[in-house]
Amino acid sequence: MSKLIFVFLAFIPLLCTSFSPERPSDRRVLVLLDDFAVKSSHSLFFNSLKSRGFDLHFHLADDPKIALQRYGQYLYDALILFSPTIERFGGSVDAAAILDFVDSGHDLIVAADSNASDLIREIAVECGVDFDEDPASMVVDHSGYAVSATEGDHTLIASDDFIKSDVILGSKKIEAPVLFQGIGHSLNPTNSLVLKALSASPSAFSANPKSKLTSPPSLTGSSISFVSVIQARNNARILISGSLSMFSNRFFRSGVQKAGSPTKHEKSGNEQFFTELSKWVFHERGHLKAVHMQHHKVGEANEPAIYRINDDLEFSVEIFEWSGTSWEPYVADDVQVQFYMMSPYVLKTLSTNGKGRYFTSFKVPDVYGVFQFKVEYEKLGYTSLSLSKQIPVRPFRHNEYERFIPAAYPYYGAAFSMMAGFFIFTAVHLYSK
Amino acid sequence: MAQDLKPSISSFSLPKTLKLKTKQQELLIRVATLALIYILAFITRLFSVLRYESMIHEFDPYFNYRTTLFLTRNGFAEFWNWFDSESWYPLGRIIGGTLYPGLMLTAAAIHSLLRFLRLFVHIREVCVLTAPFFASNTTLVAYFFAKEVWDSGAGIVAAALIAICPGYISRSVAGSYDNEGVAIFALLLTFYLFVKAVNTGSLAWALGSAFGYFYMVSAWGGYVFIINLVPLYVLVLLVTGRYSLRLYVAYNCMYVLGMLLAMQIRFVGFQHVQSGEHMAAMGVFFLLQVFFFLDWVRHLLSDTKLFQAFLKITVTTAVTVGAVALGLGMASGYISPWTGRFYSLLDPTYAKDHIPIIASVSEHQPTAWSSFMFDFHILLFLFPAGLYFCFKRLSDATIFLVMYGLTSMYFAGVMVRLILVATPAVCLISAIAVSATVKNLTRVVRAKSPAVQSGSTKGTSSAKGSSKGVIDNSQPFQRNGAIVLLLGAFYLLSRYAIHCTWVTSEAYSSPSIVLAARGAHGQRVIFDDYREAYFWLRQNTPPDAKVMSWWDYGYQITAMGNRTVIVDNNTWNNTHIATVGRAMSSYEDEAYEIMRSLDVDYVLVVFGGVTGYSSDDINKFLWMVRIGGGVFPVIKEPDYLVNGEYRVDKGAAPKMLNCLMYKLSYYRFGELTTEYGRPPGYDRARGVEIGNKDIKLEYLEEALTTQNWIVRIYKVKPPKNRW
Amino acid sequence: MARSSSKDAQDLFRALWSAYAATPTNLKIIDLYVMFAVFTALIQVVYMALVGSFPFNSFLSGVLSCVGTAVLAVCLRIQVNKENKEFKDLAPERAFADFVLCNLVLHLVIMNFLG
Repeated sequence: MSKLIFVFLAFIPLLCTSFSPERPSDRRVLVLLDDFAVKSSHSLFFNSLKSRGFDLHFHLADDPKIALQRYGQYLYDALILFSPTIERFGGSVDAAAILDFVDSGHDLIVAADSNASDLIREIAVECGVDFDEDPASMVVDHSGYAVSATEGDHTLIASDDFIKSDVILGSKKIEAPVLFQGIGHSLNPTNSLVLKALSASPSAFSANPKSKLTSPPSLTGSSISFVSVIQARNNARILISGSLSMFSNRFFRSGVQKAGSPTKHEKSGNEQFFTELSKWVFHERGHLKAVHMQHHKVGEANEPAIYRINDDLEFSVEIFEWSGTSWEPYVADDVQVQFYMMSPYVLKTLSTNGKGRYFTSFKVPDVYGVFQFKVEYEKLGYTSLSLSKQIPVRPFRHNEYERFIPAAYPYYGAAFSMMAGFFIFTAVHLYSK
Repeated sequence: MAQDLKPSISSFSLPKTLKLKTKQQELLIRVATLALIYILAFITRLFSVLRYESMIHEFDPYFNYRTTLFLTRNGFAEFWNWFDSESWYPLGRIIGGTLYPGLMLTAAAIHSLLRFLRLFVHIREVCVLTAPFFASNTTLVAYFFAKEVWDSGAGIVAAALIAICPGYISRSVAGSYDNEGVAIFALLLTFYLFVKAVNTGSLAWALGSAFGYFYMVSAWGGYVFIINLVPLYVLVLLVTGRYSLRLYVAYNCMYVLGMLLAMQIRFVGFQHVQSGEHMAAMGVFFLLQVFFFLDWVRHLLSDTKLFQAFLKITVTTAVTVGAVALGLGMASGYISPWTGRFYSLLDPTYAKDHIPIIASVSEHQPTAWSSFMFDFHILLFLFPAGLYFCFKRLSDATIFLVMYGLTSMYFAGVMVRLILVATPAVCLISAIAVSATVKNLTRVVRAKSPAVQSGSTKGTSSAKGSSKGVIDNSQPFQRNGAIVLLLGAFYLLSRYAIHCTWVTSEAYSSPSIVLAARGAHGQRVIFDDYREAYFWLRQNTPPDAKVMSWWDYGYQITAMGNRTVIVDNNTWNNTHIATVGRAMSSYEDEAYEIMRSLDVDYVLVVFGGVTGYSSDDINKFLWMVRIGGGVFPVIKEPDYLVNGEYRVDKGAAPKMLNCLMYKLSYYRFGELTTEYGRPPGYDRARGVEIGNKDIKLEYLEEALTTQNWIVRIYKVKPPKNRW
Repeated sequence: MARSSSKDAQDLFRALWSAYAATPTNLKIIDLYVMFAVFTALIQVVYMALVGSFPFNSFLSGVLSCVGTAVLAVCLRIQVNKENKEFKDLAPERAFADFVLCNLVLHLVIMNFLG
């Protein structure tokens, strides 16, 4: 016990430097396993993480000493749950604690399997993923299965239905299909944040492979997802997989041939798939930050407290992307800014100077009110940027209107002539008899 | 010894210089009485300052106070151009161009005058006491006005009556820092100056009345009454054959200069030439020119036959031109028709059907007889008596008074709020009745018997003798009758004074932001929940937090809580208010969408179920439904009623039991026992046990419930993280 | 009928002209002043009808300065005219002083309103 405390104390200075908005990649990862055999059977995956600098802590899922936080401080930056059968976590960890962990900005990888417990299912449901209710069911695909030496029940599936995103899966195309064997899940339609990273082919369905089908299966076709990702509103990332064996060394090393396809790949795509995906989940890629949102009138340097209608202004913001080690300028041509008051009055695409600075200039509309500069950038796989700055816009002051309008010269003339006439008249009236 | 004293006693008479002539005595009495009346008018309005503290009452005065504060801090130019981004979020409000600045400028002027005299008073004290000060000034103007119309005796009575009349006190009590406090002074001043101008035909007095009108326009939207009553009066004079050159001079100068001055106020703008409500004045102006022209031509021509022909031509041309111009103007839309507010004065049922916002204000309801009695007391029957006296001695001035009295009484019958405008007329006319009656009675009381002398000079015929005898016998009878009547009049007037003081103390001195009630042992219990909530908002929420509440509380939240509000008492944007009404009447998830679209951070509701306070949001809820449903037809009033009945207990409509307003008002109330012997969740304001006690909030969380549960503030939760 | 009405009109006109010629000179000067003001107002109205009413505040201030001048001059005429019984005890100096005061106010407000 005292040793543990000492260990924790030693790590506290590192806590300060491990995870912060300045260095968004995770550092310390807690891995919860059903048994320590998983540590060696999935060593390729874990080593790839370690080689990228992650600090993995392995514990049994029902270890009574595990804790996610102590005295209000989180001890880890990310959590990997490779314990599909766990009924109850040990220590102070439970479903609510894990969800709070995610809601405070930390990442999560959950792997379920064909005997997934209710606890794992509950965590998945809270994240918008619904596993098949039948505990004995697995995904079966009679036309997308992986060809193997033995005639199996087609639960080993080779899938290449990846999500189309270079940010999530890396720029290098995954040539070989990915092997999957486990339970399938579907996405909750009311959840707008969950995405399918690897989905099933239209011929797949979820059923108990050992018994005959009595009724049509509930999960069918490409609505079945094998691996899903969620990027929460606070940019915490969650990976949910229906199979633990996808991560294993056996699957990483095995060759694969999809049924009905002539090509036989030497190595499955699992390793590349999960390496790239874990890079994304642990914020080594696709993490943006926006700083220095500024606006000012053309010709001035500092930010005014209020604009006037028909003013010309310039707006700029700097966006950087985390490369895993440092902040690089983010280059894109689809960042937009809105000048918004209940609806966008001005919508402009920002131009960039290549070094991360995005800028534009426009004229304040002819409407007064309380506007907001809104940058809402939600690109697939990138952290969502939701910036807004409120600024009131006032109408003209009484002395800012046009003066000496040429069309009104006759009226000015009339008024002045009346005054002149008055003077002349008084003189005449007073001095005439 | 005694001899020494005697001459000293006889020489102990007032020195010649102090012995006053009757005229001077009368002047002294008058000035002293007026001074006392002045002080009385001020003092009688100070009940709430003495009982509670020197604070601003009600809702609208808080906006006026906030603008006055801004004016004193930032100066006139900033005030004139002030764009307020903290109310009507996110639309903002151009305050400089949408208010009547007279009240604020007056208070700021008094404040700077006091500062100049090195009396450093906080602007709030000046604001609180502005209305009583101007009420005192009104008594002086009433004195001069009645003196102009009748005589100085009537003037004093008028000043005394108006000093304590509850109809005026209701809106000018200390702390009621509202436009009417200054506007009634300006109204009476304008009328007085105009009547003086008509009586004397002097341009200077007409200029004075134009300035009085300018002050009135800058102070209150009720100036429309002046700009319609004065032309109507001129028309009546023309019709009754009382056209005179004095009238011409007075009206023309007042109209042209008054109109020009009035258009300098940004809020009024070009209404004097474009709005249908102001066209009567312009029409009468042109009519008067025609009258003058015809009069002048008739004066030039000696031959009446020619003049008749000329008259015919001119009149027909003038009438056709006028009608065509008016018709063109109205048809092309250039002259805007009467606005809903004034339309509802002619047709009281108009607002209820078409403009629920106007109908929902309690001050806009038609007046009941009890309100008349409450606010006028004996003046109610003195008013017809005064009218009688005015008709007996018809002059230009009395005709004006009669017209003012009749029109203002009509409008007072249509809307409770307008009793205020009728009060000066009623006081003046009643003063004439009182003064004339008392004068006649005292004359009878003081009469030396002239029948004795007439009897001695004339011959003693039997008839004369009997008549003399009758006169002799009836003289003391008349005198006694007069004394009895005088005592009766004195009694009535003293009852009036008692009634007025009682009314002021009981009914019109409540600040309505601080509530008082009697505790179990009869001691006074003060509920200061409103201020508690506003100061909590000020100190515990981020400075740019936006608060959604019903529009009644908008001004108070901006003034005391210093936070941005979505809608406030100005009610200029009906759609925005209807959006808030829709949010309050919807289920929680729909309301959450609306609140997210308006960037609302906090929601404030007022709840009277624990204290029995009956002006809370649940009682106002049907108006929210009506106003929201007026713009968004998804909100239907019958959904919230059961058999046309509005209920909150078990038998209430399901939409009522689950709407946002219900949930926010009764959250956690089901566990509270409010009254001994009643089940928990007993609503003391409605007198029923609430229907839905188990309320769960999904998108909001409770932030503050004040000590007596009167104000409840909820925080809007951000959207769910993983969903 | 037409001839009689035209004869009537001529008679009318002649009677008016002869009666008007009898008015004193100072009143005629005031009348001239009034005609000048009314004439200027008419010109402005015609101009507004041609060009449009922008800027409206300048138009109003121009027209109202003419109308105000005319009206005040007519009031002065009334008060100065010795034939008006109602004003016989009003000193002409007082009338003129009031007139000047009102005109001052008029022109100040016009200047503010002119924009």
